[in-house]
Amino acid sequence: MRKSLFYGLLFTSPAILGFVIFTLGPMIASLVLSFTDYSVFKERTSFIGFDNYVRMFSGADDYFYPSLGATFYFVVLRVPAVIILSFLIALLLNMNVKGRAFFRTVVYLPSIVPAVASAMIWMWLLNPDLGLVNTMLNAVGLPGSLWLYGESSVVPAVVLTSLWGIGGTVIIFLAGLSGIPRQYYEAIEVDGGGWFSKLRHITIPLVSPTIFFNAIMTIIGSIQVFNEAYILTQGGPNNKSLFYVFYLWRTGFRDTEMGYASALAWVLFLIILFFTFFVFRTSKSWVYYEGEGR
Amino acid sequence: MAGINRKTIWLAVFVLLAATVLSACTRSGAQLGESSPGSSDTKSEGGGEKISLRLAVWGAPDEVKPYKIAIEKFEKEHPNIKVELQHIAADYDTKLTTMVAGNDVPDVAMMESGSIAYPLAEQGKFYNLQDFLSKDTDINADSLVPNITYSLEKGNVIGIAPGPETFGLFYNEDAFKDAGVEPPPSKVADAWTWDEFVDVAKQLTLDKEGRNAADPNFDPKNIKQYGINLPSWWASYSNFVYSNGGDFISEDGKTFALNQPEAVEALQNLADLVNVHHVAPSPVQSKNIPATHVALQTKKVAMAIDGQWVSSSLAQSKFNFNVGVLPVMKEPQTTVVCAMFSMFKSTKHPEESWELIKALIDPESSIDMLTAGTWMPAELDWYTDQALLDRWTKDLPARPSGYQDAIIDVLLNHSHQTPTGYVKNFNKIMDVVTPALDKVWLGQQSAQEAMDSIADKAQAQVQGRRD
Amino acid sequence: MRTSKLSLTFGYIMLALITVLFIGPFLWLIRSSLMDLSQIFTMPPEWIPRPVHWDNFSRAMTVLPFGTYFTNTLIITVAVMVGTVLSSSVAAFGFSRVEWPGRNIVFAILMSAMMLPGAVTLIPSFLGWQALGFYDTFYPLIVPAYFGGGIFNIFLLRQFYLTIPRDFDEAAFVDGASYFRIYLSIIFPLSRSAIIVVALFCFLASWNDFMGPLIYLKSEDLFTLALGLQMFQGTYTAQWDLLMAASAVVVLPCVVVFLVGQKYFLEGITLTGLKG
Repeated sequence: MRKSLFYGLLFTSPAILGFVIFTLGPMIASLVLSFTDYSVFKERTSFIGFDNYVRMFSGADDYFYPSLGATFYFVVLRVPAVIILSFLIALLLNMNVKGRAFFRTVVYLPSIVPAVASAMIWMWLLNPDLGLVNTMLNAVGLPGSLWLYGESSVVPAVVLTSLWGIGGTVIIFLAGLSGIPRQYYEAIEVDGGGWFSKLRHITIPLVSPTIFFNAIMTIIGSIQVFNEAYILTQGGPNNKSLFYVFYLWRTGFRDTEMGYASALAWVLFLIILFFTFFVFRTSKSWVYYEGEGR
Repeated sequence: MAGINRKTIWLAVFVLLAATVLSACTRSGAQLGESSPGSSDTKSEGGGEKISLRLAVWGAPDEVKPYKIAIEKFEKEHPNIKVELQHIAADYDTKLTTMVAGNDVPDVAMMESGSIAYPLAEQGKFYNLQDFLSKDTDINADSLVPNITYSLEKGNVIGIAPGPETFGLFYNEDAFKDAGVEPPPSKVADAWTWDEFVDVAKQLTLDKEGRNAADPNFDPKNIKQYGINLPSWWASYSNFVYSNGGDFISEDGKTFALNQPEAVEALQNLADLVNVHHVAPSPVQSKNIPATHVALQTKKVAMAIDGQWVSSSLAQSKFNFNVGVLPVMKEPQTTVVCAMFSMFKSTKHPEESWELIKALIDPESSIDMLTAGTWMPAELDWYTDQALLDRWTKDLPARPSGYQDAIIDVLLNHSHQTPTGYVKNFNKIMDVVTPALDKVWLGQQSAQEAMDSIADKAQAQVQGRRD
Repeated sequence: MRTSKLSLTFGYIMLALITVLFIGPFLWLIRSSLMDLSQIFTMPPEWIPRPVHWDNFSRAMTVLPFGTYFTNTLIITVAVMVGTVLSSSVAAFGFSRVEWPGRNIVFAILMSAMMLPGAVTLIPSFLGWQALGFYDTFYPLIVPAYFGGGIFNIFLLRQFYLTIPRDFDEAAFVDGASYFRIYLSIIFPLSRSAIIVVALFCFLASWNDFMGPLIYLKSEDLFTLALGLQMFQGTYTAQWDLLMAASAVVVLPCVVVFLVGQKYFLEGITLTGLKG
């Protein structure tokens, strides 16, 4: 294998430059601000050392731990659900069926429809008194749920609504599946292997780079869940859906405590960094790149 | 590989396309660069020369239209002034905050008392409109409807509303006819007591078998029609807290007061509608669904406590609705909620900006919104002068027969300022209160328990009153 | 490849189920766009507009300058799409097919851009663009696309590039091909599915982007469709009938672009894997 620092930098230089010019500055600015009492409207901003971080971890902030808790609950429920469901749907959509274009589009539609329209339909579906879901549950003799209005049910309900948006993940899986040469499957068929054998020995190993990508992105995206709280629940009931980034946004913009919001953001940065690093580490044992000699 | 050439051509086309698009947007960018770099509000300081003012507002097209009409009239009367309307459709606070950060501030902006208006005012970003009000010959504090100005402290007015909004008891007339029950009175003097109200609500709450909530065999698990909605939004329940003699914080501004007997009783009464009397559905708080007119029209509820702005959607829903006066716990009270216009300190033209604010709150411009039912006028003559009053209340689908007594009379004689206008740090206090109240509405805690349990945390956020 | 009758039937049943579950929001949008306000919110919901309000569309389109918004959106979207596809695919090549010291560290640093919530970098970014004199222009919305086009896309393409066997490059090197040649004639064409995905995502994200235009644009004649849509939501009520009609109009091009775009990775790579 040839090694070339020059070509490596050449190809990646637009991206590196873009990062340095457009992203690095604001990131550093927010890091610096996290050590201040910065508020956009105030004329004076002073350095307050680690006070913001102390406030967070000392328990002086009543919402920090609850919002972390709500967010983790959301992530734990959502990430496996998204990965498994979208992979299964992608397998279905990769079958040689009639109207494949139609089905693929249908799965992606909820990701295109404006969030307010989707929110409206969920509000109706999950309405405890008038909603379709409870009506159907009651019809078959099952108890309904408070869904978005119940303390214990709100996070699962939000996860449920967010699953409508898995179209993007499905499409990425589909692209991955389309790269698997047919001959590989034929080889298994010759050996008499069935559906499951193909899935285990061909499909999963060969799309593992895509699974890996989707896992990382779903984790990063889920930890930063915002819209669901912003549009659907406003953090309620009883702060059980007060997701971290929603709380951070509220602190920064509504309460105009941007310095503290920046500190909150950098703590989340470290958390995301940790999980991403962790998944990257484990990937060596389960992600198979054909482009890397084994 | 035969494919190489084709792919290369394909790529070349791609690059060419990119270049074209880039140059196209460079051109449009360059044109714009000329017209608006930096601040736009100062062209010249000279007397009769062109002055340019910038006004920031939010709202749906029908809500923004009155401002456009007002601006047109204003520009006609002041030919040397040009008003630039900046319509910020959503995430108003985020946008305004970045604008302030970038020193790109409008001269006049529509503000909301519950969000960043007070944080801005506290940093001295707004003019004191009292100075203008006291020397103006056209309007003054007495010519405006009560409770539509916001003050940072006594004598420092930071904003004036284009009109008030108050609360009423909206109902479906047919639901009352079906049940053979007298509809809600519209005059304050005849207003229902709370117990009378609960009795009526029971008669209007029907289970699947058609039995009402007063019936001993009533099945609260299968309710088809509820008597009333649950006013679980702070502005809605504030009506009853005030009516029962309670408040959010004590009169001296030192103590959290929602755990005091008067407020607790009011909150408990409301929660009992759901959990004891089964006459209201469990809390459905949503800013997305304009639930009231749908709920009333489809008789999901027979009565609804809501802001007078629902008149407009009720009128569009084309069914027999009317409005009565809110039930009274001790004293008749309604809370006035409204947005406001504020003037930024950074404006180069305060006098002209003040004239603009006056033009914006002139009911003449917003007549469409007044007759549609969404708004109420800001100026008192429009309530006291019969000819003017008729213009926005007479023979209109959005202004049913009970409107004058139940809404207008209550506004003029029994209104209370919104808590966002006088409770300092209101949002942070409510961040503590609202989650606790969720438990009360769901019947998991009594109002007393819930408010006591958070009293210390709420107290820690109390910073006094502005009035 | 043979698919048994049984599994095909099972597949159709599942697809039908998925269709029912996923088409809801779109149908809701379409039917609402043809209803009057009172019918939109009827409980239980009705699915057939009565009467059909075609006028919602004409009203929605006249109340706001849709033509201008459409042109602006198209310029931004196309520019962003082109820039992103070009620069992210090049960068991904550098991060996957060229070996160089520090490659993984640099990649990790770029990844960090995704890990900090945007709420706290919004104001510094805005101030930066403003200082450059690009407030109220399309530059802040377009230019970054030509500098990497977002680490999401780079990462996505990198994953796909890494699945292409090394032998291809090696063989090409032996023939004296340069890195550019390998990128153009092997990697780029072989990852067509992934590049289509990047282009699609890019189109849809840019088309529907609300926050960017909100922050960086001021003049109404530069506004985009996504900004325009928000204008139907008012203080007390929204003009839902018009909002839904306008949304339907905005969504339609996305559906078409998607329908067309997905066709191209249907074919996938079938035999290339063993031909090289």
